[in-house]
Amino acid sequence: MAERNVESVNKVREAVSQDLLGGRIDLLLGWEKGHYWWQSRPLFARSEADLEKLAWDSFCAVNLSRYLLEELKDHDKVGVLVKGCDARAFNRLLQDNMVRREQVILYGLPCPGMLDYNRLVEKAGGAPLEITEENGRVIIKVGSGEQEAQRDDLLLDKCKDCRYPDPAVYDQLLFSPQGEKEVTERFKTVEELEEMSAEERFGYWEKELSRCLRCYACRQACPFCSCRECFVEQENPRWQGRAYQPSENFMFHLVRAYHGTGRCIDCGECERSCPVDIPLQELNRKLIKDINELYGDYEAGLDPEQEPPLLTYRPDDPAAFSEK
Amino acid sequence: MSAALNETAGGWEPLIVSFCCNWCSYAGGDLAGTSRMSYPVNVKVIRVPCSGRMNPMFVLRAFQRGADGVLVAGCHPGDCHYTSGNYQSRRRLSAFKRLVEFAGFEPERFEVRWISSSEGDKFAEEMTSITEKIKALGPNRKMRDARWQSVTSKV
Amino acid sequence: MKKVIAREKLPELWKSLAAKGPLFLPIQEGPVVLFQPWSEGAEANLDAVNTAVSAKDVFLPREETYLQYRCSGNQLELIPVENAEPVIAFGVHPCDLKAVEMLDKVYLDQEPSDELYRQRREKTTVVGLSCREPDPFCFCNEFGINPADAPGADVMAHLKNGLVLLEARTDKGKALLDQAGDLLQDGSDEKFEAAEVKTADFGLNLEGLPENLKERFEDPVWDELYKSCLGCGVCTYVCPTCYCFDVEDFGHEGEGQRFRCWDSCMYGHFTDMAGGHNPRAGRKERVRQRFMHKLQYYPETFNEIACVGCGRCLRSCPVNLDIVQAIKALGGETVEQR
Repeated sequence: MAERNVESVNKVREAVSQDLLGGRIDLLLGWEKGHYWWQSRPLFARSEADLEKLAWDSFCAVNLSRYLLEELKDHDKVGVLVKGCDARAFNRLLQDNMVRREQVILYGLPCPGMLDYNRLVEKAGGAPLEITEENGRVIIKVGSGEQEAQRDDLLLDKCKDCRYPDPAVYDQLLFSPQGEKEVTERFKTVEELEEMSAEERFGYWEKELSRCLRCYACRQACPFCSCRECFVEQENPRWQGRAYQPSENFMFHLVRAYHGTGRCIDCGECERSCPVDIPLQELNRKLIKDINELYGDYEAGLDPEQEPPLLTYRPDDPAAFSEK
Repeated sequence: MSAALNETAGGWEPLIVSFCCNWCSYAGGDLAGTSRMSYPVNVKVIRVPCSGRMNPMFVLRAFQRGADGVLVAGCHPGDCHYTSGNYQSRRRLSAFKRLVEFAGFEPERFEVRWISSSEGDKFAEEMTSITEKIKALGPNRKMRDARWQSVTSKV
Repeated sequence: MKKVIAREKLPELWKSLAAKGPLFLPIQEGPVVLFQPWSEGAEANLDAVNTAVSAKDVFLPREETYLQYRCSGNQLELIPVENAEPVIAFGVHPCDLKAVEMLDKVYLDQEPSDELYRQRREKTTVVGLSCREPDPFCFCNEFGINPADAPGADVMAHLKNGLVLLEARTDKGKALLDQAGDLLQDGSDEKFEAAEVKTADFGLNLEGLPENLKERFEDPVWDELYKSCLGCGVCTYVCPTCYCFDVEDFGHEGEGQRFRCWDSCMYGHFTDMAGGHNPRAGRKERVRQRFMHKLQYYPETFNEIACVGCGRCLRSCPVNLDIVQAIKALGGETVEQR
């Protein structure tokens, strides 16, 4: 794995360095290593020295497309490394007219799914020292020896039910595509919640949302949250109070999720970013599931030409209420 | 709109907030009035230009501030004064209705109905029907801001 | 005074302590551990290295009512809020307690002191808990903190072989152990020395950093450092030494309340001014403010860096833009690279 990883990073570096050093792009959005081997953080590369830091491994979870909103203010042309979800996020921004296609060069990275450090610790039963990957298996080295696990069991929650690991849009695809994946459990939790009584469901959400700190990491990390002014900050009317009351928690989370109806690409960055692990993706997925049921299958970010379901209608649409 | 309205010493009366489209449902309410049909005083009507104007936050705010039920009423599909406002709101409010139910609200708490300006009788019926359903369900505590009830009565 | 209790008996102890007022403990709330008031059936977790949000929630609650008011005609009646109930914070790790001492400097040691904070602080009895095994994010050693001992605690607790050793160090602490009565056994023979705990070594060199930063407000390093910041408030909300708050009113029909709640310098509205000007226009200014506050402004006033190495920002920042990144970028790293 180590050599293979070096190989693939080199391949990525080679592809982007021509463009960056040759002046085709002014900035490359990629990843670099953090403090530890299991952390990869955003890299803003402008020089050869920056590119030395480039990383492409099993921990590049951060969705980079979101940074385009800011970086395109200062740069004419930006290159971005995109996994499946980053590419759908890009399409989403494109559809909202937040970016222009010709300002961006996308380097597509078919994604094997990113690993969750906490899962590694759980599996290894202690702090892992390093891992090696081979054919869908991961060997975790701990102080006392080695543990082997299926790679699929170590994925981040957000990657577990990823249907489209390949970028839906790119200028250059750097590795061979993985193909569409069959997912069976994407709506499992949503369905379980639907089975509950209204009372139980309310209790569930009241408890989960009670942890909310109102840090807005879910919003800031989200590629559909690109409004210049969010309802949270609106002063008049003042929709969102700052008190940590259940009613304010519901206000924020229902409206946040609802604003993503037909726009959420299900990348799960909201949930990954949440410091108190609120199951935010279940709210998003409920809306995806309902829209699919009511108005036909739609996968946000796959095809920018396809009209988002809440921006269009058919005269014979069904309704979730009685039309008599 | 005050929560004190629906919870008095004498017992509980539901508070229903009904957002009515200016062109159809609000006029339907007018017709109900001029035809001397009656509907429960529990319903407070708020006029909106079109059901397409409905921001779902209006509904949540109503629940925060003491509503026991919310009804949005608009023109029948095909009859929108602005051509497509109610087609849009049909999709949006369908998704939203399912979401609030998913959050734990009973389905009866939030409803949408199409009522035309000639349907004074339907207006009165729908208002009566939702009021009865909410009466049967009891007061809504979900999402109600606890501080709104009475800020200082807890002192 | 030294006492001892078997670990499995702790729920009994908590029940007895919680009878007098809120007892805050690290409690397992779904997937995370948070400082929360204990109630029967709550799942306390003393093995957690650090709670997801720091223990400051006990001393500076995320939301706190200042006053309540009622108007009738021309009369305005102000109803003061009192915090009379005694509070116990059980299981506060040395880093978190050190951070509370930093909050004390801000809220108590300056004139005028903060009355609500003082009331709360004075009626709170702190049971410190020594750390046994740090996680990879803990780096309190870098700030000279000993994970085995919290000097400011009223009672110091150690977990050892199925036992909890409790040592009262102040009158408040003695009163707390007295309150527990027969539930505790005499522990004068037990040895209270916790094993040495070594936390992560990020190779930081903090010597002279605050001084050095004094002239570096316009340093080009800020132009790069902020780039990955998403502009959320995770770091400030999980941080034990962040202490900023906002004041808001809530009221209707002539009655209401004024409360304060945590605020974050990472938000645009933190510095929004009437008239529309915002002196910290973007993420760069906000990131600079946060790190300068920790590393320069606070030390300039109080002679120590406002970080205790609890590692929460390292753990929770979605993009790993944490205080160690900042210190390193600002040159606070031992020259010899690993």
